[in-house]
Amino acid sequence: MNEYENPWLHRLKWTYLLIVVLTLMIPVLYVMYISFNANGFGANEYVFTLEWYGLILSDEILIGALRWTMTLAVVVTVIAVPMALLAAKYYKTADNKLFVVFLLLAPLFVPPDILGSALLVSFKNLNAVFIWVGNGLGTSMFDSWFRLSFMTATIGLIIYTIPYSFVVILITMGRYRNEQTEAARACGANGWRAFWDIEFPQIRAGVFSACAFTVILVFNEYTRTSLLKGGFDTFTTVLISQMLNTGMSAQSYAMSALISFVAIAVIGSIILITLIRAETLARIARGKPEPATS
Amino acid sequence: MTDQTAPAVEVRNLSKSYGDFVALKDVNLTIAAGEYFVLLGPSGGGKTTLLRTIGGFQRPTSGEILLHGKSVGHLPPDKRPTTMVFQAYALFPHMTVLQNVGYGLKVAGLPKAQIAEKVDQALEQVGLKQFEKRKPHELSGGQQQRVQLARAIVLDRDILLLDEPLAALDAQLRKDMCLELKHLQEKVGITFIHVTHNQEEAMTVADRIALIATGDLVEVGRARDIYRAPEKSFTAGFVGENNILKGKALEVNGTAATVDVAGSKLRIDTRGLLVQAGQELILSIRSECVALEHAEGAEPPADGMSIMGSYDESVYLGLTTSHLVRLPDGTEMISRVIADADETLPQNGAPVRLHWKPSDIRMHIQ
Repeated sequence: MNEYENPWLHRLKWTYLLIVVLTLMIPVLYVMYISFNANGFGANEYVFTLEWYGLILSDEILIGALRWTMTLAVVVTVIAVPMALLAAKYYKTADNKLFVVFLLLAPLFVPPDILGSALLVSFKNLNAVFIWVGNGLGTSMFDSWFRLSFMTATIGLIIYTIPYSFVVILITMGRYRNEQTEAARACGANGWRAFWDIEFPQIRAGVFSACAFTVILVFNEYTRTSLLKGGFDTFTTVLISQMLNTGMSAQSYAMSALISFVAIAVIGSIILITLIRAETLARIARGKPEPATS
Repeated sequence: MTDQTAPAVEVRNLSKSYGDFVALKDVNLTIAAGEYFVLLGPSGGGKTTLLRTIGGFQRPTSGEILLHGKSVGHLPPDKRPTTMVFQAYALFPHMTVLQNVGYGLKVAGLPKAQIAEKVDQALEQVGLKQFEKRKPHELSGGQQQRVQLARAIVLDRDILLLDEPLAALDAQLRKDMCLELKHLQEKVGITFIHVTHNQEEAMTVADRIALIATGDLVEVGRARDIYRAPEKSFTAGFVGENNILKGKALEVNGTAATVDVAGSKLRIDTRGLLVQAGQELILSIRSECVALEHAEGAEPPADGMSIMGSYDESVYLGLTTSHLVRLPDGTEMISRVIADADETLPQNGAPVRLHWKPSDIRMHIQ
């Protein structure tokens, strides 16, 4: 706290922050609360139970959707994050940086339903073209290339997540000095070795954050996924479909709560470890003598 | 195979452009093996571009670079017999001093025991053995540059490139490091190519100096020659504290010319330059070679080695004092003396005579 700051103003700021966090978290906490009610959502009587959690594994629709979502998240992360990393590396050396940023962030400014339907139309047309080419060549090999499927959903989600990954990586890359790569090259390292030994360890936090962010975005995304997924369901499409049609099942509340628990635990652990590490490093630095002057 | 009898570096007709901007214009240069060579010049003159092109960090637009007789224009930095010390920020912050210095050896695939031994020797040479466990942020600026030096010399490369290695250091540390660099080069015996815009730094370390400005290689010579007998007027203006005078040749008589400067007739050795009567000329004379004395009359003397002016002011610089004199055409001349007694200083505006030895003044043709 600033020593000249009014203590009441300081308390007011903390209260405000707490209210904002609670406002954001109450719906999640409410879902967690319901997930432990034996009588489910909207019941007058609240009876604590863990039964719904036990029944998650028996809900095939939910487990299937979760499996698809996890697969999609892994595949999108494996493709999108390296692409974003390459884009960020190119951005650092590009002459016209504004143009590069515009190109990479453009998908963010197109509303999801428009981008999703544009991709849907494109894939349908591409599919028709490939089938026509296949017919001309007398083969059915190309018939399913651009049919709505896991691949089309993956492409849609890559386009959606790359801008976020790009920005996250670029922030950590901003602190990196290119002289270090040149120094590594001057020591005999080739381009890849210089990147892997010198640059990557310094931007690793950004790359891992981009991975985490991408997984979360894939879990969150509904519009593009539902338009491009073809014959499978993701966790979000199942939940929304249940909400719009029959209402969420008790297992769905349990699964939502479980995912929220895991997400909060993972993010919380990262923050905690970062804080502890920063404090440890600060303590080590305080314990060491000042750099000796030459 | 490299030819060890060939010069360490040969630059042939090298040019480098960035779009419309020409950074280097048809540069030709030869640097002998084991030489401490300095590229000196004003900022933006092209000296760092030349160094980085030799190191393989930039591709020449045209021309050729040979290292030990072998053309290397197509080779990346890691395939050249060079290594480099950067101005700053080039240590690997996530590695200790030990790991930084040993990095190149690790890349080369040397056994751990051999790496440890070589790193130990290199740190000993730069006097940082006790800091091997420290990270770069725990070192001072001078120590960081020494780690860079150790990281470079441990590789046993033939040519060490230094890009303004002392620019980020304070004045005293820079002086100390200059001598350390010179001694280190003498000890390891490899070719050092050092870029700087600081002439004192260049004079301290260099066997030879190349002056580079606006993409041109202006002049190359021994440090002493560049200072005492500059060929080009730009060199005279950049190195040392030279008085630059404009004049017109009145008559040429054998190896000497009579030149009119601000109404005074000066006799100047033509140094073999082709000079004709009526030609505009540039003259240079170092300020410490100019003596100042009170003038009895306003008439310029006819000795050909002095000029009249009016006393302007004196600037006390500690070791030396500079006396500023205004010539009749408005040109300012400086006489620098190692003395600070000011009781005999002329009054401002008083007529004074500036004179010198005939060998001290040099003629340049534009």
